[in-house]
Amino acid sequence: MTPLVSVNSLSVAYRSGGRDVPVVREVSLEAAAGRTLALVGESGSGKSTLAAALLGHLRHGSRVTGGSVEVDGRDVFALPAPELRRLRGRTVAMVAQNAGQALTPSMRVGRQIAEAGGDIPVIDLLDQVRLPRPAELARRYPHELSGGQQQRVALAMAIAARPKVLVLDEPTTGLDVVTQRGVLDLIAALRDELGLAAVLVSHDLGVVAHLADEVCVLKSGRVVESAPTRQLFARPAEPYTKRLLASVPRLDDAGLALVRESGERDIRPRAVVPGDAPVAVSARDVTVDYGRSRVVHGVSFEVRRGEVLALVGESGSGKSTLAWALAGLRTPSGGTMTHESGDLARPAQRRPMSLRRRVQLVFQNADTSLNPRRSVGDAVRRPLRFFRTAGGRAESAERARRLIADVRLDPALADRLPAQLSGGQRQRIGIARALAGEPDVLVADEITTALDVSVQAEVLRLVDDLRRERDLACLFISHDLAVVRGIADRVVVLRGGVVVEEGPTEAVFAAPRHPYTRRLMAAALEPDPDARPPVEVTPDWADAAQEGDVWTDHGDGHRARRWRPADTSATPDAPDTPPTSIAEGVS
Amino acid sequence: MTTVDTAPAVAPAARTARAWRTLCSSRTAVIGLAIVAVHVVIALLAPLLASYDPIAGDASQALLGPGGAHWAGTDQYGRDVLARVLYGGRYALGVSVAATVVSVALGTVAGCAAALRGGWFDDLLGRVLDAVLAVPAVLALLVVVTALGTGPAVIVLAVAVVFVPQVVRVVRGAALAVVPADYVTAARARGEGTWSILRREVLPNIVDVVCVEFAMRASWVVLLISSLSFLGFGADPPTPDWGLMVAENRTAITVVPMASVAPIIALATLVIGLNLAADGLSKAWGVDRIREGS
Repeated sequence: MTPLVSVNSLSVAYRSGGRDVPVVREVSLEAAAGRTLALVGESGSGKSTLAAALLGHLRHGSRVTGGSVEVDGRDVFALPAPELRRLRGRTVAMVAQNAGQALTPSMRVGRQIAEAGGDIPVIDLLDQVRLPRPAELARRYPHELSGGQQQRVALAMAIAARPKVLVLDEPTTGLDVVTQRGVLDLIAALRDELGLAAVLVSHDLGVVAHLADEVCVLKSGRVVESAPTRQLFARPAEPYTKRLLASVPRLDDAGLALVRESGERDIRPRAVVPGDAPVAVSARDVTVDYGRSRVVHGVSFEVRRGEVLALVGESGSGKSTLAWALAGLRTPSGGTMTHESGDLARPAQRRPMSLRRRVQLVFQNADTSLNPRRSVGDAVRRPLRFFRTAGGRAESAERARRLIADVRLDPALADRLPAQLSGGQRQRIGIARALAGEPDVLVADEITTALDVSVQAEVLRLVDDLRRERDLACLFISHDLAVVRGIADRVVVLRGGVVVEEGPTEAVFAAPRHPYTRRLMAAALEPDPDARPPVEVTPDWADAAQEGDVWTDHGDGHRARRWRPADTSATPDAPDTPPTSIAEGVS
Repeated sequence: MTTVDTAPAVAPAARTARAWRTLCSSRTAVIGLAIVAVHVVIALLAPLLASYDPIAGDASQALLGPGGAHWAGTDQYGRDVLARVLYGGRYALGVSVAATVVSVALGTVAGCAAALRGGWFDDLLGRVLDAVLAVPAVLALLVVVTALGTGPAVIVLAVAVVFVPQVVRVVRGAALAVVPADYVTAARARGEGTWSILRREVLPNIVDVVCVEFAMRASWVVLLISSLSFLGFGADPPTPDWGLMVAENRTAITVVPMASVAPIIALATLVIGLNLAADGLSKAWGVDRIREGS
């Protein structure tokens, strides 16, 4: 059978400063009907450029410097504009990374799908992407849908004209693990139903292992390794592939994995928190309201010095809201939050300086957490001067350089602007800035979510080193259980602003007691195509907590909220429930 | 240690250099700024350039056409038109620059503060400014001038009343795009005050918008101030001023057209220069109305 997509030693370059900068170098690949080809690589590997080239699209200023792209037997870069337009949508369709931005906000989704062309009724398309109550959903606007639903609508638009090739550019990045799982299963089902050739672009090896038949690993625009999925994951040939695979955190790691140059993993045992470590922060029955809706319903936890406590949950679970409340950016409406040296229930501006600097926040998105117009050294110097942890100008400059060195960066970077640093470097500067106040509590809000997998491993290791060196209490917020596994000492699982399970990491991962925890674990994608979900999922359950009888205790601080299997007559949960609160705005 | 000491200077220097480079790449901006620069130089050097006293009249030389002694002719009082045009830029430019600086500075601070504080402060400021904006500009100017009397300081105040609300709107829109950024949140979490966040985190990121706003408002202010003079509420006779010159000489326009046309040409070139500069700057620095949110 001839392949539907064939790329023959394609090279793409853009001009910068009067010379060609290659983005894609002599890449050849093929994709056949009914199969999924995955393009894997870290940022800057040229995978997105390659994906767009399949639709005959190049970024402004880029051009093809060699080779060709053939889709369904036609050379896309030789096609005249009208035929290229016909090719897009009818033969090749693309699903972009952020469906929320790909949909027009002012148009009902039904009309948008109808505009995508094709003769299939909108309702049937919505039904095909497994959206509940399609007739009603078609009349909604994009902002009324959840992220997962938006991505399903984008998929419906892509398949509306029954294309032969589907290009998926990071289709699930930014979605929760549970939602991601659902969208991936849908993509696989659609591919099989419609006999599509799918080209999947992803940086997430778990996603690739789950969906792809063949994998093509890219690095700096070149193909490093290309192999069938099973073979690649079981016996990676190239050291780069090995390192990439080894960097992925797994659900069965007993500690942080340190990846050697050759790609072998050493598991570093978790730091032991002494039993008498003082409690740095304690929250009791904290509630937080946005207007009239309550997003955090009475959450209690304690973090001791030198301990990493993970807050895990989907978006809208209230975990970021809790982080903001601790950092003094949002005032809790009830309950108490105390630090060993004062009350944390007040907003940052009203906290005494000595307390303010003790609790510091590290942000999710390193791109926006640094002022683009100020040098990174300046970003670190500012809190030093502001909190008066350094005396004069010279001392603060010297201290800033030392802090930058402490986060394993070259102090010479202090003079650079954030745009001149990589994402991982920027995130380290963000951590250095937080450390400048000499905090004893570090609140890390999804700090590795936006990073490449190898960079993520390095940043996790840095956080682990720092808490050992500085005896930091760390509140580590994440939606990814696998990331949490290696670094956290204890885990608190949040759902809809309520703690459903908490306990030591080992105990929770060995025997998750609450169905929601199990669902999260089952949805985590391991970089292994033959991985089976580690736990059985209870599909239907209901909360059974009552006043005075909330917890079932499993010993050693491990406890889960009471629940019972739901009545069989009850309707099961919809795959993606729409956001019920504005808490997503900050998560 | 030397590297440490020079460190803060490096990034701003590179940034200024980059801003200058992008500026030079825009022909529109360069031409516009050049025209404005010529006007500034003429205004500064007017005593050297003009060969007549702009105020002293000579009745025997009244209403002359252009000729060897008076290149642009004379007006009804026998004053040299060229000298008056050369001197006329001093008033127009001086008051305009002062008025624009005051309007843009006040507007920028208020706009940033509104974006940063939000809540009732933003609402209240917005409604008050809406109310001011509802009054036609010339009418508002006349009210202020009539109430407080003429004079440069009053004109500056009057222009500020008219233009501050518009600057606030544009700057607030630009600042709103910066305020949700995490580096502003980080400053808030440190407990920094509004002024310090505004100066350190917000202003550096909207400085391009402010520059364009300045160039654009300047051209409007020049026109407005000249209109005021034309109406008799600006410069007092016999001050050489373009608007005033047009008002004085329009009755004699059929006899000595140059006496009216020369100040109009001067005014028009200055406004065109400012407009070109604003246009070029906004394109070169990637500022457009969509991003400004107004």
